[in-house]
Amino acid sequence: MEFPIIVASVIVVSLYVNLGIALYGIFARPSLVKKLLAITILSDTANAFAVLVGYRWPRTGTPQPPVLMNTTNYNESIKYYVEHAVDPLPQALVLTAIVIGLAVTLFIAFIIIQYYRLHGTVDVRKTKALSR
Amino acid sequence: MKKSEICVIVSIVIFIFSLAYITSLGGLGYLPPVDVRKLAQIYLSSTYNPFEPTNTSSGYESVTAIVWDFRGLDTFFETAVFYGAIIASIAVYRGVSISTKKKPIGMSPIAKTITRLSTVLIPTVAASIAFHGHLTPGGGFQAGSVATVVIVLIVMVFGLRKVILKGLTKPKILLLRSLGLVGIGLTAIGLVLAGLVIGVNAYIFQNQAKPIAHISYPMWIDDILVGGSLLLFNLFEFVAVMAGFALVLMLFSIEEEEVRKVIK
Repeated sequence: MEFPIIVASVIVVSLYVNLGIALYGIFARPSLVKKLLAITILSDTANAFAVLVGYRWPRTGTPQPPVLMNTTNYNESIKYYVEHAVDPLPQALVLTAIVIGLAVTLFIAFIIIQYYRLHGTVDVRKTKALSR
Repeated sequence: MKKSEICVIVSIVIFIFSLAYITSLGGLGYLPPVDVRKLAQIYLSSTYNPFEPTNTSSGYESVTAIVWDFRGLDTFFETAVFYGAIIASIAVYRGVSISTKKKPIGMSPIAKTITRLSTVLIPTVAASIAFHGHLTPGGGFQAGSVATVVIVLIVMVFGLRKVILKGLTKPKILLLRSLGLVGIGLTAIGLVLAGLVIGVNAYIFQNQAKPIAHISYPMWIDDILVGGSLLLFNLFEFVAVMAGFALVLMLFSIEEEEVRKVIK
């Protein structure tokens, strides 16, 4: 196997491990703060996976960021650009996803802080006992 | 370790393996691939293409072209989701006021001096990212997030009360945020309004001229590529994101006792 495929395989495996850790945090940890951390890990893993899927290793040369850099001869440079640049669509989706994710994370953090102020704990098991 | 925890871990491991297997069946193949998909090729070839003037966007940067031109309406609604979260966060702190009678608490003079220097440096970097969004990696979202850092830094180092005493109050930031959002809305329908005035067809979120809509935002001013609507969208999004995040992070730093007053 070629070197880029080995590197990408290692990254994919580590992303799946991250996904497992995030899911464990969301399902099994009783603390709401840890659940929030796990959600951020989950969203970052999904974003990294999207960017990885959009990556490429062209037949000749090295991959190029999706920015048209050579602006002297457009006919040649656009052809080279299409053959070498990575997929910009996942990057565009991830860009907005990160900012929206941050806003939503802040909102959840607000809710958790208010939850703590009202119940005196962020442990969901204890609040379940309180409501009985 | 309890039985239930072992059960959860085993279920997650089975789920991950199944997901990995299904994803590999889904035709992803070896990563990274040699070619990008057809859609990506179309986006890349029409980001800046002087040979196809009715298909092109107007910047050198494909990500910004997709975000604000090819899929502009998507981004518009994503901005709506973003502000949904911001408004919800503000609603949680409804009725909380900050008393400015107490003395502002700040950090040491060293931290204050460094922060004074940063208040010039960081907004400059942010403005550069916003203005160059259609030429180099960056844009309104990233610039807004960078600029938020300086406001958070000032709040942390000089204290929230000092910031409010200096005039950066909640209504002013809300006004700034609204200006950004109105700017995005107006840029989106700008060509439609201009088309109504001069009597030509135009689309919402149109940037450059299309086959039946012969009207466009200026792509070049003198010999500088300004990117048509991309530059305007980036600038307004920069203001909107900066104000939105600054407001929420300022609310975060309100003292505990002030918040407790409104919780019954």
